[in-house]
Amino acid sequence: MNPQKPTDEYLLLIRGTHWSAGLSPAELQRAMTDFYAWVDGLVKAGVHRGAQPLVEEGRLVSGAKGATVTDGAFAESKEAIGGYFLLAVSGLDEAVRLAQACPILAHGVQIEVRPVADLCRPMAEVKAMGNG
Amino acid sequence: MLFFRGHDWDEGMSREETQRVLDRLTAWIEGLQQAGVMRGGSPLGRAGSVVSEHQVRAVADGPFAEAKEIIGGYLAVEVADLAAAVAIARKCPTLGHGITIEVRPVLAECPIVQRLREPPALAAA
Repeated sequence: MNPQKPTDEYLLLIRGTHWSAGLSPAELQRAMTDFYAWVDGLVKAGVHRGAQPLVEEGRLVSGAKGATVTDGAFAESKEAIGGYFLLAVSGLDEAVRLAQACPILAHGVQIEVRPVADLCRPMAEVKAMGNG
Repeated sequence: MLFFRGHDWDEGMSREETQRVLDRLTAWIEGLQQAGVMRGGSPLGRAGSVVSEHQVRAVADGPFAEAKEIIGGYLAVEVADLAAAVAIARKCPTLGHGITIEVRPVLAECPIVQRLREPPALAAA
């Protein structure tokens, strides 16, 4: 069993950075107006804890002592994270329901909804074993 | 923003080894706090959903959800530039245990909003 405990926070990862390609300026303007109305709704509902867009270029660090540093090809991928929202809600179902109302889903964006945990899993397991 | 990709870095490690890496991980995070560069961060639960226009899938069923790709947590650090953030990431003690850290600069404003504001002639160029 996973001993991680959920908190009241959920991270929404907006996946897909090129959803606006192919939209006319008027369509894009409309999409952004709808998007900001969705964001305003989150703020007014008091569930919005933070959000930031991310630069499409970045780095991937891996290997022992971070020996390997590569350019991340984030811009070209439909799965690349374009930004995030942090919400405080009652549970995963509510977070999913709010994500489903995001208007840019209609343009191929996907939103990964993840519960924020109290501890990383290995730490939670070590702690649970210590108490057991 | 640092995204920690890979959930099971402790796989195949003894409890003592796991504890040792966790101690180094805690020390690394405390070092960032003491240096005053840490702006937030959390581990993420394994559960979750991927929402698209017409469906909701479990994260485990997502196209990017190989265990080594799943984001296990994130950390926001405020530093001078991308190189400084990469230097911090390279010192993370769970690297070498199958973890990859994605380092991404944060923007003040959505790039699509910025493009909308550009004069049409420039946008078309």
